Amino acid sequence: MLLLPVLLSLSVPVPAQASPSPEVKGVHPSLCPKYVPASSDRWFCLDGSRSIPWSAVNDDYCDCPDGSDEPGTGACSNSTFFCPNIGHVGASISATRVNDGLCEPECCDGSDEPSGVCPNICDQVGIEYRALLEQETKLRKTGSKIRASYISFAQKEKARLEAAVTSTKREVTARADELVRIKEIVDRTESLSSAALERKKLSPLFKSLESHSELLAALLALHKDRGQRLDTLEDILSSLRSGYNPNYQDMAVLEAVRGWEQVAGLPHINDVKKDEDESGEGSLPFDVQDDISSEETERQAESILNTDYLSLLMEHDEYAESPQASSTGLNFASYLPNSLTPAFNYIRSFTSAILGENSPPNDSAKVSRLGQSLSDAEARLREAEERLRNVQQELEDLYNPGVFGKHGEWKKLDRLCLEKDTGDYTYEVCLFGEARQKANSGGSVHSLGHFSSWRYDEEPGTPDYYSRQAFVGGAKCWNGPQRSVQVDLSCGLENELLTVAEPEKCEYLITGTTPALCTPLESEGNTKDEL
Amino acid sequence: MRSLAAALWLLLLLPAPSVVAVKEQDFKKCHESSFCRRGRALADRATEHVKSGEKWKSPYSLDASTIVLEDGGSRFTGRVRSSLYPEIKFELDVRVHEDGVVRVRMDEKEGLRKRYDEAASWALLKEPVLSPSSKWSVGKKEVKVVYGAKKDQVEVTVEFEPLVVRMKRNGKDQVVLNGQGLLHMEHFKKKVEKVEAEVPVVEGEETQKVVQLPPNSWFEGVTEDGWWEETWKTWTDTKPKGPESLSLDINFPNHGHVYGIPQHATHLDLPTTKGEGASFNDPYRLYNGDIFEYPASSSSLSLYGSIPIIHAHSADSTVAVFVAVASETWVDVAHPTQKSTETHWISESGILDIFLLPGPTPDQVFGQYARLTGAVQLPPHWSLAYHQCRWNYVSSDDIRGVQKRFDEEDIPVDVFWLDIEYSEEHKYMIWEKKYFPDPIDMLNDVAALARKMVIIVDPHIKRTVDYPVYKEGQELDLFVKNKQGNEFEGWCWSGSSAWIDFFNPNSWEWYKQLYKFNGREDGKWSWTESTSTVHIWNDMNEPAIFNGPEITMEKDSIHYGGWEHRDVHNINGMLFANTTSQAVKERTTPYNRPFVLTRSYYAGAQRFAAMWTGDNMGTWEHMAVGIPMVLSNSISGMSFTGADVGGFFGNPEPEMLTRWYFVGAFSPFFRAHAHIDTKRREPYLLAEPYKSIVREIIRLRYSLLPVWYTAFRESSVTGLPVTRPQYVVLPKNEAGFSIDDQYYVGASGLLVKPITEAGITETTVHIGEDQVYYDFYTGHAYRGSVKGKSVTVPAPLERGPLLIRGGSILPSRDRPRRSSALMKRDPFTLKVALSQSGNASGELYLDDGESYDHREGNFIWREFVAESTKKTVTISSKDLASRNPDSAVDGVELAIYNGGNAFANALDGVRVERIVVLGLKNKPTKVTLGKAHLEFTFKDGMAAAGNKEGVASKLTVKNPGAFITSDWSIVLEL
Repeated sequence: MLLLPVLLSLSVPVPAQASPSPEVKGVHPSLCPKYVPASSDRWFCLDGSRSIPWSAVNDDYCDCPDGSDEPGTGACSNSTFFCPNIGHVGASISATRVNDGLCEPECCDGSDEPSGVCPNICDQVGIEYRALLEQETKLRKTGSKIRASYISFAQKEKARLEAAVTSTKREVTARADELVRIKEIVDRTESLSSAALERKKLSPLFKSLESHSELLAALLALHKDRGQRLDTLEDILSSLRSGYNPNYQDMAVLEAVRGWEQVAGLPHINDVKKDEDESGEGSLPFDVQDDISSEETERQAESILNTDYLSLLMEHDEYAESPQASSTGLNFASYLPNSLTPAFNYIRSFTSAILGENSPPNDSAKVSRLGQSLSDAEARLREAEERLRNVQQELEDLYNPGVFGKHGEWKKLDRLCLEKDTGDYTYEVCLFGEARQKANSGGSVHSLGHFSSWRYDEEPGTPDYYSRQAFVGGAKCWNGPQRSVQVDLSCGLENELLTVAEPEKCEYLITGTTPALCTPLESEGNTKDEL
Repeated sequence: MRSLAAALWLLLLLPAPSVVAVKEQDFKKCHESSFCRRGRALADRATEHVKSGEKWKSPYSLDASTIVLEDGGSRFTGRVRSSLYPEIKFELDVRVHEDGVVRVRMDEKEGLRKRYDEAASWALLKEPVLSPSSKWSVGKKEVKVVYGAKKDQVEVTVEFEPLVVRMKRNGKDQVVLNGQGLLHMEHFKKKVEKVEAEVPVVEGEETQKVVQLPPNSWFEGVTEDGWWEETWKTWTDTKPKGPESLSLDINFPNHGHVYGIPQHATHLDLPTTKGEGASFNDPYRLYNGDIFEYPASSSSLSLYGSIPIIHAHSADSTVAVFVAVASETWVDVAHPTQKSTETHWISESGILDIFLLPGPTPDQVFGQYARLTGAVQLPPHWSLAYHQCRWNYVSSDDIRGVQKRFDEEDIPVDVFWLDIEYSEEHKYMIWEKKYFPDPIDMLNDVAALARKMVIIVDPHIKRTVDYPVYKEGQELDLFVKNKQGNEFEGWCWSGSSAWIDFFNPNSWEWYKQLYKFNGREDGKWSWTESTSTVHIWNDMNEPAIFNGPEITMEKDSIHYGGWEHRDVHNINGMLFANTTSQAVKERTTPYNRPFVLTRSYYAGAQRFAAMWTGDNMGTWEHMAVGIPMVLSNSISGMSFTGADVGGFFGNPEPEMLTRWYFVGAFSPFFRAHAHIDTKRREPYLLAEPYKSIVREIIRLRYSLLPVWYTAFRESSVTGLPVTRPQYVVLPKNEAGFSIDDQYYVGASGLLVKPITEAGITETTVHIGEDQVYYDFYTGHAYRGSVKGKSVTVPAPLERGPLLIRGGSILPSRDRPRRSSALMKRDPFTLKVALSQSGNASGELYLDDGESYDHREGNFIWREFVAESTKKTVTISSKDLASRNPDSAVDGVELAIYNGGNAFANALDGVRVERIVVLGLKNKPTKVTLGKAHLEFTFKDGMAAAGNKEGVASKLTVKNPGAFITSDWSIVLEL
């Protein structure tokens, strides 16, 4: 079934039965009328550049610059040879294949070589070809049914998404109204207590606290940065050491490996059998312990940084003024997801008033609660807006030829993950998503990149355009580029991956099949009619 | 071939985008090698002596009373004494060969140990035949022999005291050995535990101390520098034999240019290493090594192979000296004057075994050298076509895909290559079935297009008993030993590895058995998953050992016969390739010509293998230096040579790659190769216009295959190089002696000057004779002069520069095919480039291209001649073979030639389809073959004679009705 497109592309759309027995060998039937002598037995090269004796046509000597005088001999390398292949399908081959001693598979009639060299096997080839074609037609037919179900899925998706757009739009409006209301309250309260807070913030204790906090934040950032660099370097060194074929061609590499082994407390790789080494990999003795203690320290530092100093400052009054008062100050920020903390702090710095009604026990708690309401409302609005954008985008993509195809036939396969086990690794391709390489032992996983585009060298909307998905920007190879994948797809009844190869370092080529490419044969020109 | 390490450096050490070059510190300089230090110090002492007016006299002399004439007088032996060590016996043995070559041997006799004396036996084709007529005569001060024609006499004298060997021609010194008194053969000694002489030094003391210097210190110096042990980096060479180095000055008092001693990335005309304005600080080093990313900016650094032959040239004569030594050797080169040359050879071990090749022409020197070490074997025809390689084609389907793409694009290719990753865990010959599940099917799919595959087999044998090659090699005790006498273990691609000791004769038959793809008679393992279309690539055979000193084997490792690796290092790689070549040849009955590519080589390797210049980089500089490297190897016997097209490392831009294809298309060995970290760059991947240009360049190579094959025939019989530098073709044209960026292809008259710079549109070509040269593409006629003339020729990316020397006839086959074997029955075009006097000639040799049937007379060898009279030009085809059957093909002297042989019969009907004549003075009135009037066209233009430049006239005779195997004669009436 993979062979057929090749056969199709080489065959020429001429009914074999209809081809006249060519008087001039190798001439394509459509050009036959031009291969007749003009007056006085002369003939014009097809490009009109020269006139030659009619006897010079097919005399095994190239006279015409366009090669047209030697359709049947191979004397002009820039011409083509037509073999009628009676009983099968006529085909054109490059003149460089004529009279070269090889029987071209395209010319089952053997006409590309002197008579007697190649047998005429067109009857047999024709039978096989038609069987193959039938098989392909069946495949296409069945496949296109599945494809049709993808298309109707897209139609349902369209309805669903349109409904979602409408409802989400409504929600956005409601959230926006809510936010306006809360903001009004905040604005009113803000002016009441900002002056008092500003004064408290001048306290030397608070100043000192602030500078401690800043320093801690800076240190933590530095620590994390160092940690990442260390991880990267360790990865590099471990890869260097455990690279399957340790290459000590350059002595500095050996020294680097030995140095690393010493630091990491590992045995020398030369002294370890490969399988032993692999089992021990990933549990380097010294940096595991190190990691645990450092993670804990990081957590502690982060939680200190998350302390709501302003709340504490306000609560401080309770302790300073009335030791018996109960502490109800809450650090709201610590309950918020990290992503909201900055927004929360930002709002709070402007919200220092107390809401009059409801009279909570002290100022600080009220401010905090108010702040949370405001930030919650903002977050809800943003979330709704985001959802709306997503739904709208999804709807837009659905019939975008550049994304899910003009019939939306690919929508069904959005994020469909396919796997191929090659022995050492399992490759996973999530269409329109991410491609990954998973080691079958050891469990390491590398991103091979995210979907970036269909085939860029073809027009969107053409069948070939959808025959390739490109995934780029995967994990960087330690000694090469960022990993990337080209997934070549063809029509098949299953969504599956067939082969995986790495033709260039860290650039993968994966082939697979999908019914989404099974267009009915009829729709691809008139090939079927000719047979 | 490649280096992972290179990639590591990029990552770890290079924040800046600088060019990675060889880590020079990984390879020794002269001052880091004790024997080289000692040798150079000796030369320095001699120079100092002479400078300060003292006399420097060699301590070596020949004892006249001991001279014995042998072999009818063409050979004598005698005792040499050193005044330094009068008790040590040295023996001199000097012979005259029948072709006038003089061999000088000196060895220590009855010493503590034996010096390695087998280097020549590996290099030589056979024991040379001594002259039946030349006789030494013993005089009062010298032994002398005179031979040659009366007007061109060679005289060789061996002077008694000091010992000096002098070869003269017509009274003029050609070669002088020990003329500077630097001969020194360190004899074997017992190690004496020295008590440090306590010389109390008082600070500030003014009185001069009289230190008693050892009596020989004027010559040998005062310290025992590195005699008994030598440490370099983390490796210690134990030197159990102690010092045994050899020093000798070889001077050419009347020759201002020296060539040879490959392999170095430098000019053909060797730059100096000593004297004022010396180009290099270090001597030329000969020590085969895996020097990845070697510098292209000219260097005396040793590379993968070594051929210790040096050619000395002047307008008067050419001579050469072949030094049969296999240990690490350093050669200093100096020109005391523009017209003279001094060289100083320093070797670590071995006897002195020197061949003086008297010339006096370059062609005669090549013949003399070929009689010693053999000529290049006639390669299989397909191996002269285009080779496509990459580290790595990753699967059998990858190979099929690459083949399909070549055919879709109609780009000819004959050979697909597999680098190391085809093998399971780098156990060579064992397929990695995950990616190559169907090797035989793959090979057959490639063979279906009449193509071959070349597959790598490296010398490092993975030490694992599930690898039959290792297991059997171990059982048969065939591996090199370490200094303790146990199996030598080192690291290479295959991890922990052993190395077969090919110095052990037991290894040869066994190794050949491994290639029997139909199975072995004894039923043991052989490579049954291969076919007769597989040929072999031997890489890493210096040997490259990743954890060894200078990435090679420890010198105190032990080979067969107890010889240390130090004694045989430079020969080691060659023996691997030689044995592989014989294995590939002998796997079929009858034998077929093998193709083996080797990276490491030594004198004599040309009989077995082709070589390439190793791991070059994708830079213009590397492209440029590849040309003199090919020329230097060619004149040193290794004619079947080329550099990787595109450069092994890096991603050449399209212009560079396109130019490089032209370089490759005009190299004897034409292969594109690329490192695993590079982008794919098969020619079909190029964008236009580059793709079409490269397609045409490759097609041009195919069209000129008759020229290349004919050149190889000549080389395989005569020893003349296939690519010929200016000095070889025009030995009297002084202006051409240093030119190494243009060269001729065999005797065809094709002169090529590849462009190796970006953005070039024209260049100058040196025409070193008073002759007309035609642009191959346009027919433009250029004129040279006796002194030589630079002409400016266009050099667009699409073509050239490529000129045809007036007086040449080029046979070509101009129908592009997918592979060369498919051209077998294609017609020929003859391009006749008339000389100024209106004549021309050319040759064509053809045989089946694969078998040895040509040695049984199955071939054609023809001559095409154009002769002018006032009114006519006659172009004829004549048989050459029947006139010269004894010098027609390599390896055999046929008594007769039968024009009706099987091969010639198979070519029945293969015709000349076109004859093109450049430089006729006017349009012929008629063109006839016998009674037949032939059809022709004529374009007016310059005539061959005269001084005018411009497009030459061009006659094209269509379908003359002449057959390639027949005699015929075509007459043009003017």
